Amino acid sequence: MSEGGSGTVGEFIQGEDEPSSSWVILAFGLVTSLALLVLHGILYPGRDLPVISEILPVFEGVFDSGIWFFILGVMIGVFAIIATMMTEATSE
Amino acid sequence: MAVNWEILDIVGGDQALTSMFLFWGLMLLTYFLMQNGLSIFNDVTKSMSLFMLEKALGPGIDLVEGREGSASKTWFIQGMLWLIAASTLAFEGLWLKQDPTALHSLSAWGYDPTASSLLYASNFAALYGGVGMLLVGSSLHIIPRLSGTDLASERNATLVSFLWTLAVVILVIAAHDSVILGLNIFLIGTAMHTLGFVAIAINLLLTVSERKVALPIPGWLIMMGVLADPISVVATVLTGSIQTGTGQWLLAQMVGGTFFFATAAGVALYVSSSASGNPLWSRSLGAATLVGALATVNPLGASNGRMAADMLGVTFEQLQPSSQDGIAMAFLMALAMIPVMALVANLMMTLRGGDAFIENPDSAGIPELNLGASMLLPLAAACLFVQSDALSAAPELSGMSATMLLMAIWLVLVPFSLGAALHLFPTVTGRSLLSRNRARWAYWMMGGGALLGLTVSVMSDLIDMSLIEAAVEDPSALSADVQAVGAILFYGTAVGAIMHSLNAVSGLFRGTMEDADRATSSSITMDDYSLVTPTSVRKILAGGADLDTTVVPVGESDDAGGPTEL
Repeated sequence: MSEGGSGTVGEFIQGEDEPSSSWVILAFGLVTSLALLVLHGILYPGRDLPVISEILPVFEGVFDSGIWFFILGVMIGVFAIIATMMTEATSE
Repeated sequence: MAVNWEILDIVGGDQALTSMFLFWGLMLLTYFLMQNGLSIFNDVTKSMSLFMLEKALGPGIDLVEGREGSASKTWFIQGMLWLIAASTLAFEGLWLKQDPTALHSLSAWGYDPTASSLLYASNFAALYGGVGMLLVGSSLHIIPRLSGTDLASERNATLVSFLWTLAVVILVIAAHDSVILGLNIFLIGTAMHTLGFVAIAINLLLTVSERKVALPIPGWLIMMGVLADPISVVATVLTGSIQTGTGQWLLAQMVGGTFFFATAAGVALYVSSSASGNPLWSRSLGAATLVGALATVNPLGASNGRMAADMLGVTFEQLQPSSQDGIAMAFLMALAMIPVMALVANLMMTLRGGDAFIENPDSAGIPELNLGASMLLPLAAACLFVQSDALSAAPELSGMSATMLLMAIWLVLVPFSLGAALHLFPTVTGRSLLSRNRARWAYWMMGGGALLGLTVSVMSDLIDMSLIEAAVEDPSALSADVQAVGAILFYGTAVGAIMHSLNAVSGLFRGTMEDADRATSSSITMDDYSLVTPTSVRKILAGGADLDTTVVPVGESDDAGGPTEL
């Protein structure tokens, strides 16, 4: 069937509304990721995770206090404000 | 060559009292000049000042827009962002009190903060960044409204906000390390802050000079609060008391009681009426707040003058008042309860109005005003005890003075200034906050975090003081554990500040468009009320009238309309 036929629209359309159940997909993805990490520990006990186990030692001695979790929260908040400013200012 | 500043000695050998007398005299002179002008120099001064505010800045002034409300909007947004920085620094300072090495990894970058340096920096960020900017932003909106005119220079006020922010950044850095490359950067920050402050003061003075109506009490509170800041500095410098511990402490209290307390009182009184639709409950209590704020020494603040000394570049001295100074200052601080009680009563009754409920209790900003009014009196009484103790020969409560200062900032000054900004936000920007629900959550996070976190911190301070008094050598783990809980609870303040800022920033772009006329109605400025149809007294009051408003019946007829005969 040709693209310009009567059965096609020919334009990209992005919906404005967000389906209320879309978060389920995200939550399912997150749970699956965690489950795979657990599965890795079961299948290969005592073996470090690839890539992650090589990156984490870089931060040893840096994030050695609980205060960093709180500071991380503030940083996420500040970045959320900056992101909001940028996206709102550049949107139509 | 050493400069002898002690050119005035009104009360023999007593610099603190001399400073107070000079301050009162200068404030009276200021009031007289504001009422009567500068005689033949009036026009020249006005035109020169306006020239300095705009044209003298050259192309720089064209960098910002001069739309109505743009100045307040800029100050509000920057003030809210400063609250995030201030609450984060305060949280880190509280945390480091029980875990001093928590941030030691930052020393690799040359940054080695301590609990005291972080709390000191947070005070600058909160007072001059957060509270100061929100109060100035509100003042830039309120003074023109009360004067019945426009702001003298919207563009200058907008531009100056960035200078002010830069000054606070330097002051926050200086609080950690005051000497960089051999320069005392406190002086640089103070110089920039003074420049911005003078520009704002001139801008407001020019606006008031064009007033069409008599300035109501909230307007006088704001103007006198703004002008008293530099005047108190002049008074302590001229008398030489700034070089003594007592003079430095006195200057800190004078600035706290005028620029921060009086201006916040004026802004809060205006907003309490504007938000509730009720007339200001008592003019006499308003006047008592105004006179009391200037004539007494406000106890809310630090129990030393380190901030004042550092900002003016003089050597910090311990507070060791003479017996005469101690008695006089304690007496003036006790008298400060009068304006405090007057303000609290006026705010509460204005918000409540004639019936048992506030008209719009869910409106953003109203809960903050209620919190500030509720906490002001107990905190002022608590600070009075701590400050009176600091004036004695052997202070016993100094261990909790830093936390009391934090409470005064986060439970009184921040709620007043932030509440006013949140309420005025739709009027100033033309759009409401993005979500009223988020504003409510932010209020609970911020208010709850500050109240619970700092109360628990005071408990930790009390444990430390008890152990020191009992001469226990090994510090208790209980105190550290309690302090950790206090810091974690205070983290809610940082989260609340972020939520408020996000709500405001999003509201700028996607907030509901506001009806400016409704949002700006204030009972303070209305002289006449046109009565077209029969209505209730309640609706007349809610429409912006007060007890002194003249209700003017407007005649109507049922005859058919026709062309006007010439």
